[in-house]
Amino acid sequence: MNKNEQPILSVRGLKQYFKSGFGRNKLIVKAVDDISFDIYRGEVFSLVGESGCGKTTTGRTIIKLYEPTDGEIFFLGRRIAAGTLSLKEEIKRIKAETKEKLRAITDETEKAKIKEESEKRIAELKAEIEQRKIDTKREDRELMKKMQMIFQDPVASLNPRMVVKEIIAEGLRIAGEKNDVVITKRVNEMLNTVGLLPEHATRYPHEFSGGQRQRIGVARALATSPEFIIADEPVSALDVSIRAQVINLLNDLRDNFGITILFVAHDLSLVKYFSDRIAVMYYGKIVEMADKNELFNNPLHPYTRSLLSAVPLPDPYYERKRVRIPYNPSVHDYRVDKPSFREIKPGHFVYANDEEFERYKKELKD
Amino acid sequence: MNTTNRRVKLSVRDLTVSFRTIQGYVRAVRGVSFDLYEGETLAIVGESGSGKSVSSKAIMGILEGNAIIEKGKIIYENQDLTKISEENFHLIRGKKIGMIFQDPLSSLNPIMRIGKQITEAMLINGKHLKNRLKELVHEPRMKYVNTIQEKKDLINRYKIKIADLKKEGKKEEIAELKAQVKTQLIDINQRIKEAKAELKKQIPMAKKKIKDDWKNEKLKAKEDIKALKEQGAPRQAIRDRKEQLRRYKCVTKKEAKERALKVMREVGIPDPEKRFRQYPFQFSGGMRQRIVIAIALTLDPDILICDEPTTALDVTIQAQILELINRIKAERNLSVIFITHDLGVVANMADRVAVMYAGKIVEIGTVEEIFYDPRHPYTWALLSSMPDLDADSKERLLYIPGTPPNMLFPPKGDAFAERNKYAMRIDFELEPPFFKVTDTHYAATWLLHPDAPKTEMPEILKKRIANMRNKHVLEEVKDNE
Repeated sequence: MNKNEQPILSVRGLKQYFKSGFGRNKLIVKAVDDISFDIYRGEVFSLVGESGCGKTTTGRTIIKLYEPTDGEIFFLGRRIAAGTLSLKEEIKRIKAETKEKLRAITDETEKAKIKEESEKRIAELKAEIEQRKIDTKREDRELMKKMQMIFQDPVASLNPRMVVKEIIAEGLRIAGEKNDVVITKRVNEMLNTVGLLPEHATRYPHEFSGGQRQRIGVARALATSPEFIIADEPVSALDVSIRAQVINLLNDLRDNFGITILFVAHDLSLVKYFSDRIAVMYYGKIVEMADKNELFNNPLHPYTRSLLSAVPLPDPYYERKRVRIPYNPSVHDYRVDKPSFREIKPGHFVYANDEEFERYKKELKD
Repeated sequence: MNTTNRRVKLSVRDLTVSFRTIQGYVRAVRGVSFDLYEGETLAIVGESGSGKSVSSKAIMGILEGNAIIEKGKIIYENQDLTKISEENFHLIRGKKIGMIFQDPLSSLNPIMRIGKQITEAMLINGKHLKNRLKELVHEPRMKYVNTIQEKKDLINRYKIKIADLKKEGKKEEIAELKAQVKTQLIDINQRIKEAKAELKKQIPMAKKKIKDDWKNEKLKAKEDIKALKEQGAPRQAIRDRKEQLRRYKCVTKKEAKERALKVMREVGIPDPEKRFRQYPFQFSGGMRQRIVIAIALTLDPDILICDEPTTALDVTIQAQILELINRIKAERNLSVIFITHDLGVVANMADRVAVMYAGKIVEIGTVEEIFYDPRHPYTWALLSSMPDLDADSKERLLYIPGTPPNMLFPPKGDAFAERNKYAMRIDFELEPPFFKVTDTHYAATWLLHPDAPKTEMPEILKKRIANMRNKHVLEEVKDNE
């Protein structure tokens, strides 16, 4: 992996809040809270964490199923979605500040100067908000067809009233392909790639087994020849014996087509096997991000350690000795010393405050 | 671990369960036999549709209406659970054999407070006077109910046989069978009549006895209270005496709550007094599973069946729940049947492992034997299809081609032969019997037959097991130092 190369996807300060209720019952759920990462061409980047930590939301926001609350998402160098919360807050802050300043000053000419300055700044921010809104709303099919998603549940994600050919061709049709001969050829090609037969094209999803259905899902994602695939727990709904088929298939896609994959999962042994870099999420934040071997050998954040210690392995002897490390979020004292996401070693990031950062550094040296 | 001289708690022999459907009979379980020893955990592993849940449901007696136990025995405390009546099963289900289900959300009632759900069973089962009546007339009643059950079983078995014979088109045999069943039915009907008459005679006598006892108890309580009042005892003492009288009659709400809070503390629910009044949606997934475990534990069973209790949970929560089950098992000396498809969990929990495929146990042995010395090709495939933490993505995972067989038409011979690259010609024709590897380790595969060609397990698995062994040796050396 070449770090100097431009990332295929970069996420900057992404926030995704969900609001519910009104007035007193108003509740804001911070599903994703200020995360940033880059994904480089040809790599498999994994998001792991417990359910409800926001990993699926991250994937869905990237593919524009949600509009981000704040932060920016760049895909192939273009901004595809951006939120406006921080800009709006900035405007509010500037307005309040100028009010404060104006009250203190009596000189008329100076007052006019300050007013003009703040108005200029606000106008700039407003223009940026408009631009971001346009970027988010724009439907750039040429660009977006390079990004596809594989869903968790192979039963629920395939339309039961469409035959396999229609399912796979849907993306192509939306991307503007009208020639039926081309579509049929492409569908057969895709079925072939995922290890199904051309005669399967006229069947309905219910006629397939779980593993085959998930392969149809993969074929649908591949039809528009994407460069980037978001795989949202693609195997967790499958049986053990079938799981290996789908993982091998995804592995082949990466090796043969050079597809970049964002892999969302909670099964750590699978993540270790399949991915290059791993980010661990906890309650909407990425707490640690590193190369897979680095993360498994030198976990720093207590949550990562707890997560790694909880993985059961098919080895009875190891299991008898395994000690689970419980994680208690109250070990962090973030009242004064505010935490941030920082690089502790080339390629190894951790969410910590100054004091913890120093401690982790020392641990890393030992 | 020496399991041979421990007491057998539950013994399943040649259990066969089928489901009646429009398409025909689905043979879900085809002759499963195993023993559950006291204080051990037996893990049953297999993919979905292998019959692991069905066999556990058969043990609990909660099979769906269209299920038929064709043959086989489930022996618990010298009783055959497949033969005893629903009435009799009430004494066992929950009280002796408890069960934890997969999805903790759907096994709790969303509009009922947690406390009520935990105490519900205690209150319903706690009508002491009614229970006493049942006890007193137990024998004639059981005779009556059992004969009715016998009749039902006879008819069910008869239906299956007829269906089989019709398929083969043997008309004479059908007629013969019909006549045979007719005479049997006449006999059974006669016996039912007799049992009913006997029961009717006994009930009034028992009722009278209970009434007298209750009157005596009331009188005693009255006298006690009188004495207490004369002594000038505190009010609390009088209240307690009244409560005691009530408790003679039934499990009071107060008593049930005390017991529920105790169990809730035992399963690690913080602040149980507050939690007692909350609804399921106010609990997280792990906490909900703890509640389900608490409900199973209130009646103090000695066998606990866990049907994929952690599949719906996260790794960290899963680890907590597994620890909890292990702790409770040790504290209460429970025997646990643990059903799962996660081999990591099996390695953690089990003392012995049974691997199921297409309604049959294909390999059974202690956990070390299954993980370090597997013999059946299906076990090989299962173990090697999992990535382990040392594996590299350059190394392809072995996978099992094809799909499990359709159990409407169970295959001839070895059910796994279709997907097995080691399959021999005999696998497609004859079902393999169990071959003994050690006293505790059996596998049903023709590869173990003395005449079979020498076959080695897949290279990837061999390497992995060698790796695990090496690690242990290294660690042991370190420990000794």
